[in-house]
Amino acid sequence: MSEGRVRGPVSQLVQASGAVEVPQTSAPVFPRGRLPVLAVEDLSIRLLLHRERTRSIREYVIRMVKGRKGERDEFWPLRAISFTVHSGEIFGVIGANGAGKSTLLKVIAGIIPPSVGSVVVRGRIAPLIELGAGFDPYLTGRENIFLYGSLLGFSQKELERRFARIVEFAELEEFIDVPLMNYSVGMSARLGFAIATDVEPDLLLIDELFSVGDAAFKEKCEARMETFKAKGVTILLVSHDLKLIQDTCHRALCLHHGQAIAIGPTDKVVAEYNKFSTLSSPS
Amino acid sequence: MATNPVRSGMYLADHSSTGPLRTILRYRELLRQLVIREIKLRYKRSALGFAWTVLNPLLAMIIFTMVFSKIFSGQPHYPLYVFTALLGWNLFSLGTSRGLDSVVLNGPIIRKVFVPKAIFPVAAIVSQIVNFVFTLVPLFLLMIATGAGFSLSLLWLPVPLLSLTCFALGIALLLGTFNVFFRDVKYFYEAGLLAWFYATPIFYPAEIIPSKFKLLLHLNPMYGLLESLRAPIYQGTAPAAVALISGLALSLATLAVGWIVFHRFESRFIHYV
Repeated sequence: MSEGRVRGPVSQLVQASGAVEVPQTSAPVFPRGRLPVLAVEDLSIRLLLHRERTRSIREYVIRMVKGRKGERDEFWPLRAISFTVHSGEIFGVIGANGAGKSTLLKVIAGIIPPSVGSVVVRGRIAPLIELGAGFDPYLTGRENIFLYGSLLGFSQKELERRFARIVEFAELEEFIDVPLMNYSVGMSARLGFAIATDVEPDLLLIDELFSVGDAAFKEKCEARMETFKAKGVTILLVSHDLKLIQDTCHRALCLHHGQAIAIGPTDKVVAEYNKFSTLSSPS
Repeated sequence: MATNPVRSGMYLADHSSTGPLRTILRYRELLRQLVIREIKLRYKRSALGFAWTVLNPLLAMIIFTMVFSKIFSGQPHYPLYVFTALLGWNLFSLGTSRGLDSVVLNGPIIRKVFVPKAIFPVAAIVSQIVNFVFTLVPLFLLMIATGAGFSLSLLWLPVPLLSLTCFALGIALLLGTFNVFFRDVKYFYEAGLLAWFYATPIFYPAEIIPSKFKLLLHLNPMYGLLESLRAPIYQGTAPAAVALISGLALSLATLAVGWIVFHRFESRFIHYV
């Protein structure tokens, strides 16, 4: 880690208070002079359950005949979330299952469009969300590197340049021309990790920590994460592991039923989360 | 569809801020990979493999010739007459039926990574163009075998091909959008496609259609498109100007409608695939 940027509050320019209610900012999203890598403003995702459920014309007709008697079955997986993440910052997202953590990551990755509000990302995103999405079991490891790589937005030239390094990192030299269906789970996970992380991203999105492969490979993964941190890559980390969040993140956001209950320095947010979870689930 | 009372949100990132067409162009490597995957995997584990792309219409042509060449003996070079139209029809029917299903089939990808969704129908159509190009080889052999001969008018071929492609892509985008919300569309279309095949002069000459149905024939876009394709190959003449221009105009209009509808609804696909 460079410039003494160890754990601790980094930028308190925008919303560093452990706010219980997230205020709707009317100030410009970007403070002049220092552009955030990620700016999320008043973000909400709304699902209309009756609408999103209809699957066939038969159901549709039945619903038309019956009418929608004032159905108010809206569901908000995320509601009025605002935060900014600055260059070089490691930002954690915590919350119970179903709090909206993964949905938030998917919105930032561009998979789910916001219903309200805005998400602005500057630079290249490397989403380590579902490693190996789009892997085709009938194609070989080599072919899958090009398929998955192109899915992540790499050009053919880039992939050719990175190919040897990817294969070496995944330790799959002997099996690279074997169809993926003959790989073990660990092997394809290693390949997915190797492809997705062989990048120079501006923003790294991580959903949980991957327990990929054996101890030796895990060490390699961690080493790669360390180089990202050392390079000052901005990281958004979603995890259940409070200790991990406390050890690595400068700031954090705590979600509960799609709403932000705390944003700010990690220690405060984790304390808030602990207080909240003991309150809501006395067991 | 109910109107959305909530103003729509905004997402801006390097890969989404450039508009749908530019985004697809940026993902051209993915397009290439999807086409390669389609061609490689279509006939996986078959001994003849990719040769089936060529054999399939050839076998169909042979059967039509065996059954109908006596009935339509007035039609010179009947095998070539059928084969030419079959190639065009296959490009359209396979392209649209696979294209309209492609968004749903690639749901697992759409749910996990950002990807310009129109790339899947586009890849389905492009795969069929690649197949079409390969079937030109047996087509030319057939032209020699039947003694139909070549003419310079073959240079017209790219124009009806472009029309067919645009028309197919437009239909694939339009029906592909509906199919995300109602999976029934796929099955309706498959049945409709069969009726459409018989309603189009592919294995029979247009002249046998009774005059009271002539209007229907001219309302069928595939009639004009396939006739334009036939002209340079089968008749050895330039396509009729009216058919060529109206076909191209209709195809571009279909593509525009399909494109607009697709991009109007694509942000909601994620909740359905």
